[in-house]
Amino acid sequence: MTEASETYTFTFMKEVSSLLHAADGNPFPMCVQCGTCSGSCPVAAYMDYTPRQIIAMVNAGLKDQVLDSNTFWYCASCYQCTVRCPQNISITELMYALQRYSIWKSRYKEDMIGPSFSEAFAKTIMRTGRTFEPILAPSYIFKFKLREFFMEIQNATELMLKGRLPLLPPRIKRLDNFKRMIRRIIPMGGEA
Amino acid sequence: MVKRLLIIDDDPDYVTGIKSILDNAGYAVEVAYDPKAGLQALQSRPYDLLLLDIMMGRGAEGVMIARKLRKDSKLREMPVLIITGMREQIAFLFPGEPIHPGFVKLDELVEKPVEPSLLLEKVNHLLQLAEERKAVPA
Amino acid sequence: MKEYAYFPGCSLEKLAIGYHQSALETTKKLGVKLRELDDWNCCGSTTYFHIDELLAYTLTARNLAIAEKTGLDVVAPCSACFKNMFFTQSHLKKDPDLAEHINFALEEDGLQFSGDLRIQHLLEMFTQDIGAEEIKSKVTNPLEGVRIAPYYGCQILRPRRDHDSAESLENPQYFEELLTAIGATPVDYPLKTRCCGGSLIISSRVAALSMVRNLLQSAVEREAALIATACPMCQVNLECYQQAVNQEFGTNFEVPILYFTQLVGLALGIPEKKLGIGKELVSAMPVLAR
Repeated sequence: MTEASETYTFTFMKEVSSLLHAADGNPFPMCVQCGTCSGSCPVAAYMDYTPRQIIAMVNAGLKDQVLDSNTFWYCASCYQCTVRCPQNISITELMYALQRYSIWKSRYKEDMIGPSFSEAFAKTIMRTGRTFEPILAPSYIFKFKLREFFMEIQNATELMLKGRLPLLPPRIKRLDNFKRMIRRIIPMGGEA
Repeated sequence: MVKRLLIIDDDPDYVTGIKSILDNAGYAVEVAYDPKAGLQALQSRPYDLLLLDIMMGRGAEGVMIARKLRKDSKLREMPVLIITGMREQIAFLFPGEPIHPGFVKLDELVEKPVEPSLLLEKVNHLLQLAEERKAVPA
Repeated sequence: MKEYAYFPGCSLEKLAIGYHQSALETTKKLGVKLRELDDWNCCGSTTYFHIDELLAYTLTARNLAIAEKTGLDVVAPCSACFKNMFFTQSHLKKDPDLAEHINFALEEDGLQFSGDLRIQHLLEMFTQDIGAEEIKSKVTNPLEGVRIAPYYGCQILRPRRDHDSAESLENPQYFEELLTAIGATPVDYPLKTRCCGGSLIISSRVAALSMVRNLLQSAVEREAALIATACPMCQVNLECYQQAVNQEFGTNFEVPILYFTQLVGLALGIPEKKLGIGKELVSAMPVLAR
């Protein structure tokens, strides 16, 4: 058992590394645990583990604890950690890699809004080439608490009155070409 | 002669499963756990068949590998069995929509999870077709 | 008249219509023409498309290839769109295999990406290409006495690494210079490059609201009458969720959030209505009427 778990430990760090572009930053084991990332992160206080802790946990192979945490879904994509890291580790890209890992392996928690919002967003673009705010709302609004729910409705109503919400979904003109283009990247929906 | 197979798949648990099935069936099996290592292996020595995952690295990099094979005069003759769980992995692949193969001359696509008997049948079939193609030079 | 290829992005069609209108009006007045890209698609923003990077590059490469056809430099008013364009181009240039793969997909729409575009954020185009001096010389209604917090946000500055110095990354000054040029008083805004929360406003509401609160609080402490933004995501988070912040934290913020183009437009004497002013949820009128 010991031997097997050692192999596993080694694998999780490598598995996550292989999800990043090879040219993006230095490998995670180069982290010196200085904490600049956690100190720079505007969301750290709301995360189960700070970015510094997550890097240490990935390196230590604590796969389940990492994947069960909210940390990588709470990344705001502000890149403050990335530009300040003295070891030039692409920390934001690591958060994205963990999102990718958890989506691909269906390892995210049901009550997280991040994954379902992501899904609705991607579907809308694949269908029309554009985003359309009203169609995204159902992916998250029903997971809100009541007060947030009404706030969202009130906001939408006011924006509508000011002419800032689209009533009809926009779509690009060369949509057929667009969809065929996507199929050359993702082999979905019939012949290439 | 023992047939040499290469698996390119980033899921170590899954690879352990199919590798033991193929090992037991008498194939010589090598594994690359990411697309880059996979391409390096393909360029360094010949294989009789490739088992290829789709969603790896930054996205559908399996498709990128298959397209690279098609451009290589030697590698494009190698049969490819695409094994993918992408319908579950990708948010916008709507249920019921097919996934198309057809990246190289000889390829087939099966979706994860694969029954051991189906896996062996597909591998066998593709190897046989490749032999037949070799026997009749175009 | 210098012409630019203009990628408005999805938000500017409706949610940030005031940004779109004021961008077109002010550039016209400043002798610059923005030519909207033909049949552009969504750039993928920051949700989902970092999960499938190959798709993300494809979406943005299509827009870049359309822009390349015009032979013009390209500008994007949204920081997320700008970041995606900037990095798609640099990643594809560094990775010819990937570029070849994406180009194979672009063939379906009769397009090719070569990667030689000059890509700028709209705010950079104002400050670098047109220049504060030129703008100053055209000001007819200087915004005298209006204290404004220049909010840069994140992705106009990060994670790109082409800054002149660490100082210009951590403490840039060009937004302040622009505000000075139109006669306003830029306040020293310590959180000017701190994040607004982005899409966390949907996915992690409480975290994002506290980020918005900090930004509003800091602006009020510095006695800013309004906050100037250069990104529709920032504008929406700071403005549309101000009431939610007030409810959540028991505050009573009422800080108008305007796009820099709206402020420049006012200084150039363009009527408010043409700049989309009046569509805010927190009215800017009391501040501007002084």
